[in-house]
Amino acid sequence: MEAMEPPLIEVRGLSKVFKVDQKRPGLRGALKGLFRREFRDVQAVRDVSFQIQAGELVGFLGPNGAGKTTTLKMLSGLLTPTRGEAKVLGHVPWKRERPFQKQLTMVMGQRSQLWWDLPAWDSFLLNKEIYEIPKPQFEETVHELSTLLEIKDLLEVPVKKLSLGQRMKAELACALLHRPRVLLLDEPTIGLDVVMQKKVRDFILAYNHRWKAAILLTSHNMDDVSELCSRAILINHGRLLFDGSLPQLQARFGHDDLTDAMRRAFAAMEKEEPGLAVP
Amino acid sequence: MKKYWFVFSLYWQEGLQQRASFFIDRFRSCVTLISFYYLWSALLKNRPSFAGYDYSQMITYVLGMDILRSLVFASRTYEIAGDINHGRLSAYLLKPVNFFVYTFFRDLSEKSINLVSAMMEVIGLTFLFHLKVHWPHDPFTWIWFLAAVGGAIWLNFLLNFMVGCWGFWTAESGGPRFLMELFVEFSAGAFFPLDILSKRLQAALQLLPSPYLVFFPLQIFLEKTTRAQLIDGLLIQLFWMAALSGIVYGVWTRGLSMYGAQGS
Repeated sequence: MEAMEPPLIEVRGLSKVFKVDQKRPGLRGALKGLFRREFRDVQAVRDVSFQIQAGELVGFLGPNGAGKTTTLKMLSGLLTPTRGEAKVLGHVPWKRERPFQKQLTMVMGQRSQLWWDLPAWDSFLLNKEIYEIPKPQFEETVHELSTLLEIKDLLEVPVKKLSLGQRMKAELACALLHRPRVLLLDEPTIGLDVVMQKKVRDFILAYNHRWKAAILLTSHNMDDVSELCSRAILINHGRLLFDGSLPQLQARFGHDDLTDAMRRAFAAMEKEEPGLAVP
Repeated sequence: MKKYWFVFSLYWQEGLQQRASFFIDRFRSCVTLISFYYLWSALLKNRPSFAGYDYSQMITYVLGMDILRSLVFASRTYEIAGDINHGRLSAYLLKPVNFFVYTFFRDLSEKSINLVSAMMEVIGLTFLFHLKVHWPHDPFTWIWFLAAVGGAIWLNFLLNFMVGCWGFWTAESGGPRFLMELFVEFSAGAFFPLDILSKRLQAALQLLPSPYLVFFPLQIFLEKTTRAQLIDGLLIQLFWMAALSGIVYGVWTRGLSMYGAQGS
């Protein structure tokens, strides 16, 4: 019998508390804050646990401020959790070990790693050096990615001259040059028109099939979720609300439309209805 | 190391793209250089020396100051606090790169661009005004001078990196940084030689790392240091490098544990 491969992402009881400084309203408040600052604890993520296998494409969904990005940042090693454990590719992410970093990528829809004044090609070459990608592999990957994303003619144009959609495609290509096995995508289609959204979605799906990568994706766009994800994890107020397939989600929250099913799930969470905790 | 040299070359390319800010920066440097030239020429017009410097030594100090400003003070470490505050640091932390080394090579690139321009300014001014430069008599002086300049570059990088790390604690590190830069340049001897100040003030300044950034290397170049002063100076530079390395390591490690990756 074939042994089951360990999950690429494994999270157990992950919690994150931020210390946030508070400013009282008005000039008086500002003056008081100059001498004495008050802090309060904000629990961004509470006791979150899940696993993701190689080849899975999972939607990580929730309203703004639900704790999605904070969880992604912990999984990428940017943040150290307050409590809990996580293993990504067999590594503790926040130790930021080189072999871990070489197999992971995180794309943030509103952030760019491309050099603004230079052509995307220069950023590609920099990543080639950073990830120590052998030349033949680099050339093959660039060819493959630029063909799939239709950006071949744009690689020598300064990034600042590209449209948002073109930039996002170049961004995705740049982030995937080292063929990562784990992709954390934070709203990869944000701000794109419907045609461009579709192209980016098709590309993510193609990459997932080609490299059997584990992909965790956050999005407010339900087309992203319905077209890409076979499984959804719902989070609100930092707490896990649901983890299962899309048909299960719809069956559980009793609606044909995915957006409505999610809305009902979050509303139920707000009312703290019994039986909603993840089994 | 190849990746860091690539970073070096990319910042060169970027520097050449941003031509306007580059030329404005160099124009400011030319104005400073010419102002100092006229100031010291006027002061030394009717006297053989001033504060122990003859005309040729003082002019050499002024020209050396311009070169060392570009080598020691030219830096992009002011970006560190912004990188932290706006979450741009995340892009570096996600990749297999050492941010400290990356920043150093970013600085090296900035310094080399500025050095090329400063050399052209100094050579141009020397020919234009037929300046008589004081060259060291002892060839070993060059070795000590270059060692002191290397130490000064590293020392100032550590100082700037430490200040950049304030970004972990406050979003308002621009003001303190500006004040620190002004004070460091003054106490480094980047406006005038420190030995024109009172003995008491000089003694106080000698306790800081800044005199070893510009004043000390130029004293070596002008062959105004005794062997004992030379060895003492180099040892003090080493002491500050070790002390600041420890502080930078502590500040960076502590800051990173608090990093919220905001804005990313």
